[in-house]
Amino acid sequence: MSRAVAIRPFPGLRAWWTMLVICLEERLAYRGDFVLGTAMRFLPIVTQVFLWTAVFAATTRSDIAGYSRTDIVAYYLLTMVTRAFSSMPGLAGGIARSVRDGSIKKYLVQPVDYVSFLLAARIAHKLVYYAVAFVPFAVVFFLCRGYFPPMPDTATIGAFTVSLVLSFLLGFFMEATLGMLGFWFLEVSSIIFAYMLVQYLLSGHMFPLDMLAGVPTGVAGVSVADVVRWLPFEYTAYFPAAVWLGKIRGAELVRSLAIEAAWVAVMAVACRVAWWRGTRRYSAFGG
Amino acid sequence: MDRYLSIFLTFARACLVRDMTFRANFVLECLTSMGWMSMNLAFYLLVFQFTPEIGKGTGWTREPFFAFVATGLIINSIVQALFMPSAEELTEMVRTGGLDGVLVQPLDAQFLLSMHRVDFSSFANGIVGVGLLGWALSRMDHAPPAAAWLLYPLLILCGVAILYSLVIMLAAATILLGRNQSLYDFWFYLTNFSRYPAEIYAGPWGGPLRALCTFVIPILLVVNVPARVIALPLEGQAWGLVWLVVTAAIVSLVVSRIVFQTALAKYRSASS
Amino acid sequence: MNAVIAVEGLAKEYRVFDKPEGLAASVKSLFHRPSRVVEALKGVSLTVGRGEFIALLGPNGAGKTTFLKLLSGIITPTRGTARVLGHVPWERADDFRRRFALVMGQKNQLWWDLPAAESFRLHREIYRIEPGRFERTRDELVELLGVKKLVLQPVRDLSLGERMKLELVAALLHEPEVLFLDEPTIGLDVVAQHALHRFLAHIQAERKMTIVLTTHYMKDVAALCHRAIVITDGAILYDGSLDQIVDRFTTHKIVTLDLDDTPDADDFARLGFPCEIRGPQVTLRIERQRIADVLPEILRGRQVRDVSVEDVPLEEIVAELFRSGAAGAARLPEEARA
Repeated sequence: MSRAVAIRPFPGLRAWWTMLVICLEERLAYRGDFVLGTAMRFLPIVTQVFLWTAVFAATTRSDIAGYSRTDIVAYYLLTMVTRAFSSMPGLAGGIARSVRDGSIKKYLVQPVDYVSFLLAARIAHKLVYYAVAFVPFAVVFFLCRGYFPPMPDTATIGAFTVSLVLSFLLGFFMEATLGMLGFWFLEVSSIIFAYMLVQYLLSGHMFPLDMLAGVPTGVAGVSVADVVRWLPFEYTAYFPAAVWLGKIRGAELVRSLAIEAAWVAVMAVACRVAWWRGTRRYSAFGG
Repeated sequence: MDRYLSIFLTFARACLVRDMTFRANFVLECLTSMGWMSMNLAFYLLVFQFTPEIGKGTGWTREPFFAFVATGLIINSIVQALFMPSAEELTEMVRTGGLDGVLVQPLDAQFLLSMHRVDFSSFANGIVGVGLLGWALSRMDHAPPAAAWLLYPLLILCGVAILYSLVIMLAAATILLGRNQSLYDFWFYLTNFSRYPAEIYAGPWGGPLRALCTFVIPILLVVNVPARVIALPLEGQAWGLVWLVVTAAIVSLVVSRIVFQTALAKYRSASS
Repeated sequence: MNAVIAVEGLAKEYRVFDKPEGLAASVKSLFHRPSRVVEALKGVSLTVGRGEFIALLGPNGAGKTTFLKLLSGIITPTRGTARVLGHVPWERADDFRRRFALVMGQKNQLWWDLPAAESFRLHREIYRIEPGRFERTRDELVELLGVKKLVLQPVRDLSLGERMKLELVAALLHEPEVLFLDEPTIGLDVVAQHALHRFLAHIQAERKMTIVLTTHYMKDVAALCHRAIVITDGAILYDGSLDQIVDRFTTHKIVTLDLDDTPDADDFARLGFPCEIRGPQVTLRIERQRIADVLPEILRGRQVRDVSVEDVPLEEIVAELFRSGAAGAARLPEEARA
């Protein structure tokens, strides 16, 4: 693979446009699945909201780890938005599959950089998804507007936006790297599943991570939340939501954004390295 | 009936042979499903850090709630082990035409399509569930009465029957649509409602939702009724629920059978 | 006649949805999905007697597989009646389903990850074959096909040909009276095809089974079937013996001359027949009625070593039938008259 190709960010605007149109057509063809799928993604939240409402009804506290009852509802809804950016359905599995069945070969032959190609395809997919999913999201957020605190200031909205874009990139590079483990292991579905479990727990998808502040790690003065902050997972769900709700401000906000950016860089490099070494191994062993 | 049992045992035997050929994979599957379960248990432990009870005055304090969770594990593991793998494979069979091969065999198609695969690794969660149930019951103030012990297995069966009917109806949808990639997702989202005590669905939105998930799609009865019978005092209201879940199980089995047969008939007249 | 299969006016229509290409069309199809009715089978009538071995020939999409699916009760027809072994197939009585078998060349019905022996065991349960008979039949079939060693290997490790043989064993375990074979030799190499043919011929003769086979390999037909049915466009174009296909649909014969030297092309072109010259060998296509008149004239004055007169190869005739379809069938005799 030539150097000039490897650093080209996108495989041409035309190709990209074609990809976008194909994605849109695909979505429209499976519109039944799509509408149903988007709507159903809110169902687990409904259960969570009722669960926390019941918890608040039985407890004497006015807040749990700094979250009031309405905050929790708002938090879960916001994680839906962040997951819409950071989740990459089928990415890791797709890469692993194309390694296993040998269809990865065509990217070794064609003058296209595989990672850039995947990224472009993903952006196209996401854009189309937002265009179509905007309506159900808007309806739900409008109905639930009472749960949200007043609109945050411009700086917070800015930080929220940056954190969302970074969470997209982080999610992409983490899953792509995971998929490239397929060069080394024949069966990666178990690894992917284990990753999803850890991700689900530590990203804050399950509950606001602030609740872990009281959970000790065994090391004096260090809680589980302190450890999780340095891991990449929370930036794919918890962090943007917490920013919007004003849980993270000032210097802490800047520091967290820096950690997130650093993780994006680390995972982007890891993904590249995995691709280089993986393809070298692949061509050496003949797949 | 005898013949169906022996056919089922042949299926089960073949699946066990297969699982044992891919032992490493089998162990991994057990571990991952138990990983998922322990994560949920950790979450519930965390929740009880902040509250003594789920819903005010419902009786779902820590130990009864864990008995509830254990019941859910047992029921779900049975369904996951016996019915889900077959239903998932059905999607593939419709796509590749493997369904045709099933239809020429002198056997009830619903039986063959819903029970030809057994996933033994899913029983792992059920075994943990039994352990968890024992632990939770032993730490409770009151021991369940003998009537509760007698009813519990029957009510578990009713729960399994309701979930089985849902699987069958989703499978029917697969046949009608010709494909259904989100079968498993749909299943996950739907059964999600059965994961918590019905009492949490309260208020202007919760009330109707509770009624819907009790009387229309009886998903809320699946875990709630057996769990309530074993973990909470057997009072007047519990007996009503017992009758309700038995009725719901029978009705949903009949309805799902009709839906499935209709789907098969449609498949026959629509395909070339 | 003792009819095992009796079909009267059998028709099957189904609706297909068009997937338009392009973004605008996709958006439009949100509101209205264009569809049309396809007639897979247009009123087919036919009778098959006990012990017949018939071939259904036809190009892809002609309706062969639809016809087999109707006969085995997988799908229901739009119109028409059918009786197989006295049963209406799509009523799917267990009694009926125990008496026939369907083998599809492209589909695997054995357990993929397990040895075929496990699938056989399952068949024993499903078809309620008594143990003694089961073992006898299984051993006999396995012996005949020479697959004794393969029975205990996981099916996924077998070659396509080996898998097909085991599929056949599974299908024949319950000793069906009627066997439907859908493209059984598809994708097989010549050796495997030959082995399969030998086996089918043997088992059919021995058990007096009624076999209906769909294929588009002429070799399958020529080797096995007494009767061929050509289907194109959902209708029967020809039903009769293979020899009669030649009689009925060929207007020409192929005359091949072996000469001493490579001849002059113009010399033969003058005769007015389509001709092909390959070295000293000349092939002429001559109308059947004129052979007797023309042949002496051709031979006269030429140094001929050998001469042969043959029918047009079966493949070509059938290919021509497929191409021309129903309209072509009407055209052929007319051409012959001219």
